[in-house]
Amino acid sequence: MDFYYGLAQIIGVHTLLGLSAYMVLLTGQVSLAQAGFAAVGAYVAAMLTVLAGMHLFPALLIAGIAAATIACAVGFPALRVRGLMLVIATLAFGEAVRLFFFNFDYQIAKGEVRVGPLGGEGFRQIRYFPENGWTTFEVMLLIWAIVAMVMAALWWMDRSRTGAVLRAVGEDELAAQSVGINLTAVKVSAMAAGGFIAGLSGGIYAHYTTHIEHANFGVVLATFAIAYPILGGLSSVFGTVIAVVFIQGVLIEGLRFMGDWRNLLFGALIVLAMNLRPHGLLDPRSLAMLRRLVGRA
Amino acid sequence: MAHDLAQNTVDGLMTGSAYAMLALGFTLIFGVMRRLNLSYGPSIMIGAYLGTLVHLQFGMGAAVVALVTVLGAVAAGFYVERLCFAPMRGQAATASMVASFAIWMQLEELATLLLPRHSYPFPALIARPPFEIAGILIRADRLLTLGAAIAAMLALWLLVHRSRFGLALRATARDRATARHLGIDVDRIGLIAFLGASALGGLAGMLVIAADQQITPMFGMWATFKGLVAMMLGGLGSIPGAVIGGLLLGVVEAHGQWFFGPQLRDLLVYALLFLCLVLRAGIGAGVPSAERRI
Amino acid sequence: MLDVRDVVTAYGKIEALKGVTLSVAEGRITCLLGPNGAGKTTLMYSIAGILKPRRGRIALKDREITGRAPDQVVQAGVALVPENRLVFPQMSVRENLTAGAYLRRDRAGIAADMERMFQRFPRLKEREGQLAGTLSGGEQQMLSVARALMSRPRLLLMDEPSLGLAPLVVEEIFRIVTELNRDGTTIFLVEQNAHMALKVAHHFYLMEQGRVSFSGTPGEVEEAEVIQRAYLGSRRAD
Repeated sequence: MDFYYGLAQIIGVHTLLGLSAYMVLLTGQVSLAQAGFAAVGAYVAAMLTVLAGMHLFPALLIAGIAAATIACAVGFPALRVRGLMLVIATLAFGEAVRLFFFNFDYQIAKGEVRVGPLGGEGFRQIRYFPENGWTTFEVMLLIWAIVAMVMAALWWMDRSRTGAVLRAVGEDELAAQSVGINLTAVKVSAMAAGGFIAGLSGGIYAHYTTHIEHANFGVVLATFAIAYPILGGLSSVFGTVIAVVFIQGVLIEGLRFMGDWRNLLFGALIVLAMNLRPHGLLDPRSLAMLRRLVGRA
Repeated sequence: MAHDLAQNTVDGLMTGSAYAMLALGFTLIFGVMRRLNLSYGPSIMIGAYLGTLVHLQFGMGAAVVALVTVLGAVAAGFYVERLCFAPMRGQAATASMVASFAIWMQLEELATLLLPRHSYPFPALIARPPFEIAGILIRADRLLTLGAAIAAMLALWLLVHRSRFGLALRATARDRATARHLGIDVDRIGLIAFLGASALGGLAGMLVIAADQQITPMFGMWATFKGLVAMMLGGLGSIPGAVIGGLLLGVVEAHGQWFFGPQLRDLLVYALLFLCLVLRAGIGAGVPSAERRI
Repeated sequence: MLDVRDVVTAYGKIEALKGVTLSVAEGRITCLLGPNGAGKTTLMYSIAGILKPRRGRIALKDREITGRAPDQVVQAGVALVPENRLVFPQMSVRENLTAGAYLRRDRAGIAADMERMFQRFPRLKEREGQLAGTLSGGEQQMLSVARALMSRPRLLLMDEPSLGLAPLVVEEIFRIVTELNRDGTTIFLVEQNAHMALKVAHHFYLMEQGRVSFSGTPGEVEEAEVIQRAYLGSRRAD
C-alpha cells in the first residue's frame, strides 16, 4: 500500500508545481523558473524545520512567501520580455537559483552531527515527518489537503473577475490594457502567486524525500512544471491534474514494466497528445462536452 | 597576470567558436520557425552516438565518424521537425516546445540503449600536442573549430543574403503569410532550414566531442544550453550576432572560471544572460518581431 | 477566367463563406463590394490557396485549383496583393521584387520585368536600394502591386488596395489598375470605396454575411437601392 501512497505524494507535489505554472501561464507568461521557486521553498522550509526547529506549517507558509518574494523579483524585469525571450530569461533565472544552491553551505552542529545544506552534497536528514511520527498515509493526506486547498482557491479565482482579468492579459495584452487593466499589477501578481504555490510544493517535497540537492530542481523539473498545464489545457485547473496523473501515474509509473524502453514510449505519447490536442487534453470543447455529460447524469 | 588574461581570452575564443556554431544553428531554426527546439542538442548527441557506435563496432577512423555524426544529427533533426514542428505550424507554439522536450527524453533514452555506459571514447581529429605562439598555448583541434566556425558563418551569410533560397528564407522569417502569397513553400523552407541547422550543429558537436575525446548523454542538454545562451547574448536572429554571442560566451566563461571557479562560472553566465535579456542588451541587431512568439 | 462555385470556407465551426458563386471574366476588372466581416478577404484567401474551402469548386480557365497549395496557385497564374500591403519592411525594394518572382527561373525575363516595373512605377526606381519599411503608404502599395506582378499573373487579386491611403494616392492606384487591365491583366478587386470602383470596374458583386447578394454592371449598381444606401448614399472620401 505504501507504494501507492508514495505515488500519490509524488502526484500531489507535481500537481502543485503544475498549478503554479498554470497560474502564470493564464497571463500568457511561459515560465521555466518554477523549479527555481520550488528550490527556494524547499531549502527555506527545510532550514526552518531542521535548523530552527520550527513547526512544519508556519515553515511551509514562510517558504511560500519567500518563493513568492523571489518570484516578484523576477516578475518585474520579466515584464520587459515576451515569448521566447521570457522562456529563456526565466530558464536562466531558474538555473541561476539552482547553481546558487549548488554553492550554498550553511551547516550547524545538532548533537553529534552537522546538519544543513552543503553545496553539491545537498541537504540531508530533513527528518521532520519521521521525528514527529507521521505515517506515509498521513503525509499523503496532508499533501492532498494542500493540493485541494490550492485547487479550490484557483478554481474559485477562475470563476471570479480575477480569472477573467488574468485570461484577458493572456489572450491579448493590448486589448487588456485598452479596457483599463493594469498589466504590471496583473502579471507580477500572477508570478508571485505562482511562486507561492511552487514554494509550497518545494517545501513539502523536501520533507517527504528527506534529502534535497540542487540537481532535483533543474531544467527537467522546470519543463515538467510547464508541460502539465500546457498538456492539460488552460480551460480549467482539472486539466493540470489530469496531465500530472497522465504523466506521473500512467506514463512514468504505469510504463515501468517497459524497463529501458519506457522513455521512448513516454516521449512518443506526449508528442502524440500535443499533436492531437495542441491546446491541451482538456480544451474548451471537451470541457463543454464533459459538462453536458455531467449535467445529464 | 597579463599572460594569463591573454591565455584565457584565447582559450575562450576557441571554446566560443563551437558555441558560435551551435548558436548559428539555433538562429536558423528560430528565425524561420519562431519556436524553441529543446531537442536541438539531443539530436546532435544522437548523431555523435551513432558516430561512436561506428567507431567502436567497425573501428572506423575520424573522417567516417565525423560524417556519420553529421548525418545522424540531420536524421534526428528530421525526426524532430516532422513530429514537433511540421504538424503544429501556426498554432500553439508552446505545444511544439513541450513536444520537443518529450523527444529530448526519448533521444537520451535512445542513447543509453545504444551504448549503456556513462561515457565512451570518441576519436580525436588531430592528435598532436599543442603549439605555442608568443607564449600562448594553442591546440590544433581547437584552432580547427575556430576556422570551421568562421567558414560556417561566411557560408551561411552568403547563402542567406546572396541566394534565391536565402531570399525565400528571409521572406519566410519576416512574414510567413506574405511569403506564402508570393508562392514560397514556407513549410519546405522551414524543413530545409531545420536540416541545415542540424547539420551545422552536428559539425559543431563533432568538433567539440572530438576535442574532448569522449561522449556522454549529458552532451545534448549542454549543447542546447550553450547554443541558446550564445544566440541570446548575440541579440537573437542575426548571423553575426550569433557568432559574437558565442565568442563572448566563451571568453566570459574562460575568465569566469579563472577568477571564480567552475561552479560560480555557470552562475555568473546565467545571471548575465538574465540581465542581458531583461535589459535588452543583446549585442547584435535583434529582430523586432522576433519576440512575438516562441 | 475564374469560376467560383458554391464555395464554403469555415474557421472551425463558423462558416465565413456559405456557398459563394461568382465568376471573373477574362480581360475585365471585377469588383467585390461588401461590409466588413462579409467574407471578402476569406474569399480572396480561398482562391489564393491560403485557406482550404470545405466544399465547392474554384477553377481558373477550366483548370481546377480548389484546395491547391498557395505556391501551386501562384504557379497557375494567380497573384494576390494582400490587404494592408504587407511588404517585407527589412528588405530593399529590389529584394521585395525579386521575392515576387520566386517561382520563376528565367533570369533574363525576371530582369526585364524588373525594368518594366521600374518604368511603370518610377518612384520605386528612385528607391530601389531603400528598405521597404521606409517607403510611404502609397509607395508600399505600389511595391506590393509590382511584387505581385513579378510572378506574371494572368489574374491579379487585389484586397482593398485603397485602404488607409490619401485620396490623391488612391486615384493613382486606380489609374494603375486601369493601365494594368488595359495591358491585358484580369483583375479581381475587393473594395470598400465604391465611388472609385465604379469608375474602373466592369462588373460588380456584393457580398453580405458570406453570400453573394447582388451581381450587376456599373449601371445596375447605381440603380440598386441596397448599394445606394450602403455605399453611395454618404459620399465617402476615403
